Amino acid sequence: MRTRAELAVLVDLLRGPLREYVRETRVRMAVLVDASGQLLAQQGFSRGYEVTNVASLAAAAHAAASALADMTGARRWTHLHNEGSNQHMLLAPYATGGSDLILVAIFDRSTSLGIVRLFSDRLGERLRQIPELRGGGSVRDASRFEHELEGGVRRVMGDQA
Amino acid sequence: MADPYERALESLLRVDGVRAAILVDADMGVPVVMEADAGVDADAAAALGAELFRRSARCADLAGAGSLRTLQLAAEDGHLLVAAAGGLLIVAVAAPDAQLAVLRVEAGRVAGSLA
Repeated sequence: MRTRAELAVLVDLLRGPLREYVRETRVRMAVLVDASGQLLAQQGFSRGYEVTNVASLAAAAHAAASALADMTGARRWTHLHNEGSNQHMLLAPYATGGSDLILVAIFDRSTSLGIVRLFSDRLGERLRQIPELRGGGSVRDASRFEHELEGGVRRVMGDQA
Repeated sequence: MADPYERALESLLRVDGVRAAILVDADMGVPVVMEADAGVDADAAAALGAELFRRSARCADLAGAGSLRTLQLAAEDGHLLVAAAGGLLIVAVAAPDAQLAVLRVEAGRVAGSLA
């Protein structure tokens, strides 16, 4: 678990790269969360979205996609694209050496999947160069991951889970 | 190669100086099939080429020029040619000394066969 001070530093470090990502791709909204569903950065038009719920569900989707990738022998997943009637969503996980980070990008027809994917890869390269991400906050420990994910799901379900 | 997409790439790559040929989903901007020399970032060429075409098509439309068919970008170290082919885009990356006239003709022929 990160300390409050570590978290503040991390949030500060992620803001710039994510802002640039939103500017270059013209996605409506982008968030970075860790594998436990903790929101670390957000940029774009977040009005109309329950961002903390998006963060928790992204962590759950990451866990499910990782399990599926393991089961099918695909190893690590790189992108998950959902196409809606008006909007698309792209999820991309970044292995940073410490805790995995997950990008959630919501976009419409003002950009394209190709552009969003291209710059997502570039954002990942940029994040991997941040030394602070290689340190603590690892959620690779299975029991802690499960505990944190359960907490995220509870937040989404309004404590009914 | 029996696949029409692969045949299309093969004919584009036969033109002197062509370093990459990509068929791109026009809406999504993602490659359908591609062949590229080492050192050419084909994914980036596909995404950015499709985006450039999309914006230029909008510009042509607003200017009353009708639907955009081909776009050619000349840069210091090479050329980018994008041509519409129905729901696909043909993206070709070429060296500065490539046979551009032949490439344009070939891209038009391929576009006609795929559309």
